[in-house]
Amino acid sequence: MILSRRLTVSLALAATVAPLAGWAQDAPIVIGYQLPLTGNTAQYGQDFKSAAEIALEKFNASGALPVPVEIIYEDSRSDAKEGVTIARKFVDNDDIVAVLGDFTSTVSMAAAQVYKKAGVVQLSQTASHPDFAKISEWQFRNITTQDQEGAVNAEWMHEKGIEKVAVIAEQTDWGQSVVKGFTTPFKDMGGEVVFEEFFNRGLADFRSIITKIDETNPDAVYTGFFYEDGAQFLKQMEQLGVDIPVYSTSAAYNDKLIELSGEAADGLFLTATFLPTREDAGVQEFVEEWKSLHDGAAPGQFPAQAYDAVNIMLEAVVRAYPDVTRESMREAVAATTDFPGVTGNTSFDENGEPLKELTKATVENGEFVEVK
Amino acid sequence: MLDPYYLQQLTIGLSLGMIYALMAIGFTLIFGVLNVVNFAHGEIYTIGAFAGLLMIATFGPPLLAVLLVVMAVGALAGFGLERLAFKPFRRFSDEASMKSRAMREATLMSSLAMSIVARESLELIFGSQFQSVDLSYLINKQIQLGPVTIVNGDLIIFAVALVMFLGLQWLLKYSTIGLSIRAVSNNPLGARYCGINTDRTIILTFVIGSVMGALAGILVGLYYGAIYPSMGFTPGIKAFVAMVMGGLSSIPGAVISAMILGITESMATSVVSSVWADMVAYAFLLITLVFFPQGLFGARRERV
Repeated sequence: MILSRRLTVSLALAATVAPLAGWAQDAPIVIGYQLPLTGNTAQYGQDFKSAAEIALEKFNASGALPVPVEIIYEDSRSDAKEGVTIARKFVDNDDIVAVLGDFTSTVSMAAAQVYKKAGVVQLSQTASHPDFAKISEWQFRNITTQDQEGAVNAEWMHEKGIEKVAVIAEQTDWGQSVVKGFTTPFKDMGGEVVFEEFFNRGLADFRSIITKIDETNPDAVYTGFFYEDGAQFLKQMEQLGVDIPVYSTSAAYNDKLIELSGEAADGLFLTATFLPTREDAGVQEFVEEWKSLHDGAAPGQFPAQAYDAVNIMLEAVVRAYPDVTRESMREAVAATTDFPGVTGNTSFDENGEPLKELTKATVENGEFVEVK
Repeated sequence: MLDPYYLQQLTIGLSLGMIYALMAIGFTLIFGVLNVVNFAHGEIYTIGAFAGLLMIATFGPPLLAVLLVVMAVGALAGFGLERLAFKPFRRFSDEASMKSRAMREATLMSSLAMSIVARESLELIFGSQFQSVDLSYLINKQIQLGPVTIVNGDLIIFAVALVMFLGLQWLLKYSTIGLSIRAVSNNPLGARYCGINTDRTIILTFVIGSVMGALAGILVGLYYGAIYPSMGFTPGIKAFVAMVMGGLSSIPGAVISAMILGITESMATSVVSSVWADMVAYAFLLITLVFFPQGLFGARRERV
C-alpha cells in the first residue's frame, strides 16, 4: 500500500505546511480504466475514453479536490485474456485505487476475478450480464441488466397483444442474457417463443436467418444486437420484404443505427436509458461538449453510460477523500444514492446493481422518440 | 415443386456464392495462377471500398464513375503492394534464389505485414466502425421474382463477376500477356531464359488482380452498406477456401467452389444455428486438404 502511505504523508505535509498545499499535486489520485481501444469493438472503447476525458477534465477544472485525479487507460481489445492481464497490472500498481471497465460482459467478468481477489472496486459502464455484479462486493455497474430490459420489453409486447415472438441475439454472454432476460418473463405472461437463435457478432448476411424467422410466422422479433449488426439486420429485413415489428434493447440505441439503415430503421421499438434530446441541464451540457469534439454528432447511450460511470467514480473519490484507499473507495461507490447523471438518477442496491428507470422509444421518420 | 422457403434460401446462397466468387477471382489470379503467396488481397478489397466511399462522400458521382475510380485506385494499390512487399524479394536473380522456396514464401510475411499496416492505418484515419454510406448508392433495391426476392445488387454482382471471369479466361488463354503469366507461374527461371520480362508480368498480374479485388470491395460494400477497415477479412478467408477447393490454380474451379460454399452456407443455416454456418467453409477446407489435395475437381496441370 505504497499509495496510501505516500498519500497520507503528502496529505499530512500539506495539512501542516498549509501554504505548501501545492505539494499534494505530486500525488494525484489514480484510477484505472480498461477498455477496447483497438480491435473489433474499438469504436466503443474510443467513445468511452472520449467521454471519460470530458468528465475528468471538467472534474479537475472544478477544483472539487485539492489533488488532481488521473485515469490510466489500458487497451483490452475486448479479449478476456488481455483483460485479465490488465487487471493484474492494475492490481499490482499500488497507485490505483479503483478501476473502471471493461466493455463486454465476458471480459469484465474475467477481469472481475482478479479484482475480487485483490479487493479493488470495479465499476463497469456496460457489462450487463446478470452474473457480473454478483461476482463479489467489489463489482458495480452503471447499466441496467438484461433481466430488467427483457422484463420491460416482455410487458410492452404483452400489452400490445403480441403472443408469438422470435428471438435472436449475438453469440456472447451478453446475447445469452438478452434471450434469457426476455423469454423467462414473456413465457410467464403466457407468450410463446417460436424461434430462438444466436449469430456471430459482425455477421454480414442475416438473410438466411431472416428467411427462417419469416417461416415461423411470429408476431414480433426480439433482438439482442448492437447498432452495426442491428443496421444490417433491419436493412436485410426490408430488402427481403419481411414486415415483422422488431423490438430491441438499449444496445441498439445509437444514431448511427438510423444513419446506417435509413428508412429500414423506422418502426423499431427499444428500451433505453439515455436520450440526447432530453431537456436536462446535465444532459445538454454533456451533449454539447460531445458534439464539439465529434463533428456535431450526438452521443449514443454507451458514451453516456461511461460518462456517468466516471462521474460516479469521481464523486466517490470526493466522498472518500482524504482517506482514499481501495477499501474506502468500495464503501464510497456503494454509498452512491440518486446520483444525477445523464442516464437518469442512479443508486446502487446491495448487489452493486444500478436502479435506473428505462425509457421506451421507437424510431419515427429517422429519429428516436420516446413512447409515452 | 420446390418449397418457396428453400427456393429463397437457395437464392440467398447463390447470391452469397457470387459475392465470394467476385473476391475469389482476383485472389486466385495472384495467389493461385501466378503462384505468389499474397495475403494482402483482403486489404486491397477494403481499400477499394474506402476509395469508393470517399468518392461518393465528396463528389457524389454516378455509380459507374465510382467504379472506374475504384478500379484505378485498385490498380495503384496493386502496383504499390507489389513494389513494397514482393519486389524486394526478387532482387537476387541467381538460380539458387530464384528456385528458393524460402524467398518465394517470405512474401507470406511481407504481404501480411502490408495488410496489417493498411488495415490499422484505415482504422486510425476512419475509426473501426461502419462508415456511413449515402443510402441512395446502395445496391439493395428489391426485385420480386415470383416467390423469391432478390435485389438489383445481385444482378450487378452477377454481371460483373461474369465479365471478370470470362475476360480473365480470354486473357489467360489467348493473349500474349496471359501466355507470359502462365509461363512465369510455371517456371519463372525458364520464362526469364525465354526472354519474358518476368518483373513486368508479375506487376501486371498484381494490377489486374487488384483491380478486381478493389471492384469486389466497393460492390460488396454497397451491397451490404457495410464499409469498415476489417471488412476484407471474412471474404478473404472464404476466397482462400474457394481457391483451395478449386485446386489452387484454377479460376473456374474457384468460382464453382465459391458458389458451392455460398449455397451450402445458406442451406446449413436452415438446419443448424447460424453460428455454425461459418464452420462450413472450414469443414470444406479440411475435407479438401485431407481427401482431395488436388482440389475437388481433380488434378489439372494447366494453370488457368
